[in-house]
Amino acid sequence: MAADNRINFWRRNPKVPGSVQPVYGAQHPPLDPRFRRTYPKDTKPKFNNLKSKKASTFHEFARSTNDAWDIDDEEDEDFFLTPGPAPSLSSGLHSASTVFIVVLLDFLIFFVWPSTVRSTLKKQQSLPVRPIIPLVARISDQNASGAPPMTVREKSRLDKFKQLLASANTDLEELRKHSWSGIPREVRPITWRLLSGYLPANKERRELVLKRKREEYFGFIEQYYHSRTDEHYKDTYRQIHIDIPRTNPLIPLFQQPVVQEVFERILFIWAIRHPASGYVQGINDLVTPFFVVFLSEFVTEDVENFDVAALPLDTQRNIEADSFWCMSKLLDGIQDNYTFAQPGIQNKVKALEELDAGTLHHHKYEVEYLQFAFRWMNNLLMRELPLRCTIRLWDTYQAEAEGFSHFHLYVCAAFLTEWRKEILSMVDFQGLLMLLQNLPTIHWGNEEVGLLLAEAYRLKYMFADAPSHYKR
Amino acid sequence: MQNNHHKEHLYKILVIGDLGVGKTSIIKRYVHHNFSPNYRATIGVDFALKVLNWDQETVRLQLWDIAGQERFGNMTRVYYREAMGAFIVFDVTRPASFEAVTKWKEDLDSKLTLANGKHVATVLLANKCDQGRDVLTNNGIKMEQFCQENGFVGWYETSAKENINIDEAANCLVKHIMASENDMLQSEVPDTVTPQLEKDKGGTCSSCFRSQ
Repeated sequence: MAADNRINFWRRNPKVPGSVQPVYGAQHPPLDPRFRRTYPKDTKPKFNNLKSKKASTFHEFARSTNDAWDIDDEEDEDFFLTPGPAPSLSSGLHSASTVFIVVLLDFLIFFVWPSTVRSTLKKQQSLPVRPIIPLVARISDQNASGAPPMTVREKSRLDKFKQLLASANTDLEELRKHSWSGIPREVRPITWRLLSGYLPANKERRELVLKRKREEYFGFIEQYYHSRTDEHYKDTYRQIHIDIPRTNPLIPLFQQPVVQEVFERILFIWAIRHPASGYVQGINDLVTPFFVVFLSEFVTEDVENFDVAALPLDTQRNIEADSFWCMSKLLDGIQDNYTFAQPGIQNKVKALEELDAGTLHHHKYEVEYLQFAFRWMNNLLMRELPLRCTIRLWDTYQAEAEGFSHFHLYVCAAFLTEWRKEILSMVDFQGLLMLLQNLPTIHWGNEEVGLLLAEAYRLKYMFADAPSHYKR
Repeated sequence: MQNNHHKEHLYKILVIGDLGVGKTSIIKRYVHHNFSPNYRATIGVDFALKVLNWDQETVRLQLWDIAGQERFGNMTRVYYREAMGAFIVFDVTRPASFEAVTKWKEDLDSKLTLANGKHVATVLLANKCDQGRDVLTNNGIKMEQFCQENGFVGWYETSAKENINIDEAANCLVKHIMASENDMLQSEVPDTVTPQLEKDKGGTCSSCFRSQ
């Protein structure tokens, strides 16, 4: 009943007071989170309230368990914090209209301009608009090879990143803002290390932190890895051991014994340090993007077929430790996806059902959201998208304040909407469910992910600004 | 509906068991007639459809491939809903996966009953039989005893890799599902006395055992 009213409301009122709805196609980084906090209490986004309530319940649960989530991995983060510009609470200056104009400009620059450039190129060189991607999709960013030379805009973006990264204290807020619409391949490894909170903003300290964290990780290995054969842990290890050969089974890189051993160590150490969840299937997928991105620093050709054993041992070890820590940081933000009964996933699947007003709600075949969207949440859409798209997606997730936990929901809603036409054309339950479990994204690249993120961004603000209409 | 010339049946069948026992491989073999050693771990549930010609009738099997990890156990209730039959799979090379069979059976029976209050027909699959035989499955009498004690309608040694006994096991399950369906149709109208027609494929329990 309530849901029906809500749907009708949105149908009848395309213009919702206070929403920034016209920003369709936005590629601009999201509004400063501080901006949202300046709302009067009563208009505070309902969803956020709900979430923090849940989080506190989880916190109670977490406190009652002895878990590495409780251990302060950031013991010296404060120490490294440098007196940056104090967070100005007057960011309310970003009035909605300013944002709208900036967003509109970005829209023009990102979508309209490059497409003209592309079509000109096409005429000149009779190149296909999109590089042909083999069935076993290439991992690396489309920009890496086979793409036209860097445009002026891409070049200036890269320069901006380089400048930010080279400064004595990297302005993380600024770095996030630029990362939202995609990080250039050359600077992605270091940017990911910074955005995940693994590396400090202070440039001088970075080497030291890296050295210490890498040693710490290999300390864990020395101390705990032998316990994988213990009665207590052998089941965890066995599950990991079964899953590793079937992680990315079609990509040769992941069939190399050296790489499989890296994954086993990372997952085993993480699992025994987080007994509240332990190893949950799907977490194995989450190591992949980090591993590929950190490996890409040392590989000029395609990563997919690279022989990792040919790298110096030190380099291999550094990639492993960095992947471990960055994955740990990611999981810290979505821990309730993997604890008992997986409340994080259940809540997000329910929320997806609420957000989806136009596709499955109108379908006569009653597919349950849990039947397809469980995997979307548990594996962060990694099973639905080629790896190169996941990497691009994670640029934005790491630039967003709660990218992996909160923004991901809106991305899922946008993803569902993307297939509206196909979904509505299905004539039976079987066809519908098989479509939803095998959405044809094999050809997807940066462009499609960009549009998906823009739609997710629009949804996020549409629902955040209309809290009273987002009722559970 | 009463037209017997071309009757259609639609059955939801669950495939459950511990992780890595070969549930996905069995379904791929059965539906797509192929095998790969490296299917990715199932997350949540995967869905497949198999259409059978059964005498003059069409049988559509909805196969629900349910993730085997214990952590996902809370979701099973949603996935079990309205199922008519089930395969419980274990890996003959891993005794622990056989120990989990009774756990899966209990989970299934506690969350799912037919309209007449009975449990759904369940067939036990001893998979990966191409990789050497388990001591237990060597002893057919013991296995049949295990099936009777635990409410399985039959058991098969299977190999998705070598395509052994998959079709046979599925036919056995379908036979039992049809039998229980007839059973329910009759109990739906208890005041009416309907003459029972003898059907070739009505199927009794013992007709299904491979040993016979």
